[in-house]
Amino acid sequence: MRRRFSGSMITVAIAAAAVGAIVSMSISRTSAQAPAAPAARPARVGGKPNFSGIWEANNEANWDLQAHAALPAAVTQPGVYPYPYARVPAAPVLALGAAGAVPGSLGVVQGDGQIPYKPEALLMKKDNAEHWIDRDPELKCYLPGIPRAMYMPYPFQITQGTNKIHMAYEFSNTARTIHLDKVAGPPDDTWMGHSVGHWDGDTLVVDVTNFNDRSWFDRAGNFHSDALHLTERFTLMSPDIIRYEVTIEDPKVFTQPWRIAMPLYRRVEPNMQLLEFRCNEFVEEFMYGGLRKQPLVKHWEGETMAVDITRKVPSGDKFYEWYGGKQ
Amino acid sequence: MRDRFSRSMITLAFAATAAGAIVSVSITRTSAQTQTASATSHTASAKSSATAPALKTPWGEADLQGIWTDESDTPLQRSPKYANQEFFTEAQRAELDKERAALLGRDRRVERGTELDVAGAYNAQFMSVKHTGARTSLIVDPPNGRIPPLTPEAQKIAAAEREFRLALLQATQTCKNKSVGCAGGKYDPTPSPRFAEPPPRYNTARMNRRDNPEDGALPDRCLTGGLPEFGGATGSFRRIVQTPGGIAMFYDVGQGQGWQRNIIMNGSPHLPANIRQWYGDSRGHWEGNTLVIDVTNFSPKTDYQGSRQNLHLLERWTRTGPNTLEYVVTVEDPTVWTRSWTVKQEFTKQSDDENRIYYEPRCIEGNYASPGLMRGQRMAEAAFAKGQGPDPRISDNATDFVGVEDDPLQ
Repeated sequence: MRRRFSGSMITVAIAAAAVGAIVSMSISRTSAQAPAAPAARPARVGGKPNFSGIWEANNEANWDLQAHAALPAAVTQPGVYPYPYARVPAAPVLALGAAGAVPGSLGVVQGDGQIPYKPEALLMKKDNAEHWIDRDPELKCYLPGIPRAMYMPYPFQITQGTNKIHMAYEFSNTARTIHLDKVAGPPDDTWMGHSVGHWDGDTLVVDVTNFNDRSWFDRAGNFHSDALHLTERFTLMSPDIIRYEVTIEDPKVFTQPWRIAMPLYRRVEPNMQLLEFRCNEFVEEFMYGGLRKQPLVKHWEGETMAVDITRKVPSGDKFYEWYGGKQ
Repeated sequence: MRDRFSRSMITLAFAATAAGAIVSVSITRTSAQTQTASATSHTASAKSSATAPALKTPWGEADLQGIWTDESDTPLQRSPKYANQEFFTEAQRAELDKERAALLGRDRRVERGTELDVAGAYNAQFMSVKHTGARTSLIVDPPNGRIPPLTPEAQKIAAAEREFRLALLQATQTCKNKSVGCAGGKYDPTPSPRFAEPPPRYNTARMNRRDNPEDGALPDRCLTGGLPEFGGATGSFRRIVQTPGGIAMFYDVGQGQGWQRNIIMNGSPHLPANIRQWYGDSRGHWEGNTLVIDVTNFSPKTDYQGSRQNLHLLERWTRTGPNTLEYVVTVEDPTVWTRSWTVKQEFTKQSDDENRIYYEPRCIEGNYASPGLMRGQRMAEAAFAKGQGPDPRISDNATDFVGVEDDPLQ
């Protein structure tokens, strides 16, 4: 049985992702004029800078870590011209209009801006990009992994305790604990990794290991293997800005270590708090809608845009088979 | 009704997460502590925490940090067997421990070699039996240790839910054989026309239909976990991390269905009424050494014993000793219960190193069960339409088939 998805099913997930980004940005701007919260938070805890609070990246890294011009959509198809720069949005995201477009960025990859893929891994990255809708774990609300959780367009909260630093992420209700004391790693791999931290002066350095090979770095198909090893560095640039820097090592995928860096901004709104974004509910239609006895959406009718799409999944695509798409 | 379904829900949640979820939790005390000492502290906790030693954070708040769990089994409600008895005697506990040690927490055996018997060969791997606790019920108020009666309105809703679920079972062997899953219903060989109806209200529990993802119980959909959290058959762990002005809690429940709370400590009012959340909105403050948390704004899609968006919890967390934390929660919903009720639990601190909880609520990542049940149903329907199989509506895919072994504690 081939599963047929209509355009509107697919657009739901993308709309959720895109709207998240837009809303958070506009709120940040509005509240810049609001008075700051009373200082209940000491500048230092246990003699170290206090990173506690709610933070959020404000960049395009989740679209693509590397420098890129704006695109009409994350998935495109040939327009009337043969030129690659004249492509138009592909059907699955067409209904979103400008909300489905990809904003440009100067990139967050340090040095020459290149990700040092091994040749075969670069082919995989390009293949991932072409099959973004089928493969990106974000669209399925899977755990985002580190470092991606740090720069997705959702806030996260740091609670800096005495021997643990807890990070709670709004996306997908996930979290990680950074152990400042020694805690042995888990016996099997994880999406979010095993984080062990120490202080280098006023910089928090976190070593992250025990990853699986399933999370991505961004929506552009940048990926890693289970040999991923991160060294994160958190440094306060000012009370409300963290410089966040990550050295990424993965000898199975990259020829050498590489680095990303970006600021993380404090959400300074006085009433700021994490709300739930329990997206596994939101993606049920995207993932399982085709299994309903009476599918909710066959095509759009009447005055509504009619987008009828057969979602073709390449045979043997493990990312699709993960959620039981094949019989 | 709910208990019966929750058993099935748990089973399926395991099925859903068996491949993807790895939880490394074991009950290990942080320091040597004898059973006698533990029993004494249970008794002491009844008197309250006013005399408890104050374990403080460097910034002067009571220190609640660590991984905590209830190391003993205490039923939520007091069995009629122990009416008017708040605490077990030591002899009763010893006897119960002996009886319960023989339990494997598994489903009942029925005729060997039957499909029904195989269907029950599952839970022994997952259900744990812990030492019998000091109390005869977690509920300390009302004094009879029972959840108060439902309001007439809540009774009507519960009856409507029950009728709907029984209607979907009426043509199955479960009703034909008068199994416990059909209690209150009766057998009718004709599948109910109610298969075409939506449930009386937003579905949260198992039903014998797989037309939609929403027909699954919340745990089937990786939407379980929530408040109040008292443990259950698989136990539950919570890690607390504190910072000046902030408290994070992460719960590890039911293998991969972890969830988090960030307690708002700035004295601000609850979220606007139009913002409803699966885990509610937690606003805390300190009363001496006790962390008091008020929880409201629950989603109408949550369900605790019939209570949904009007659920209101008042929690009190008190560090009572180096390895003990007292948790008292008052549960209130005037639309559901005729009065509020209160639960008291004592948590024991767990070894941080030996409980390397992953804090990975990974469930949807390996949820083969939910789409698999729907796909199976579609295939059965297709086969039936071609005259190659039975009407899928006469199969019971919802109840727990044979029932579980009786736990003398319950």
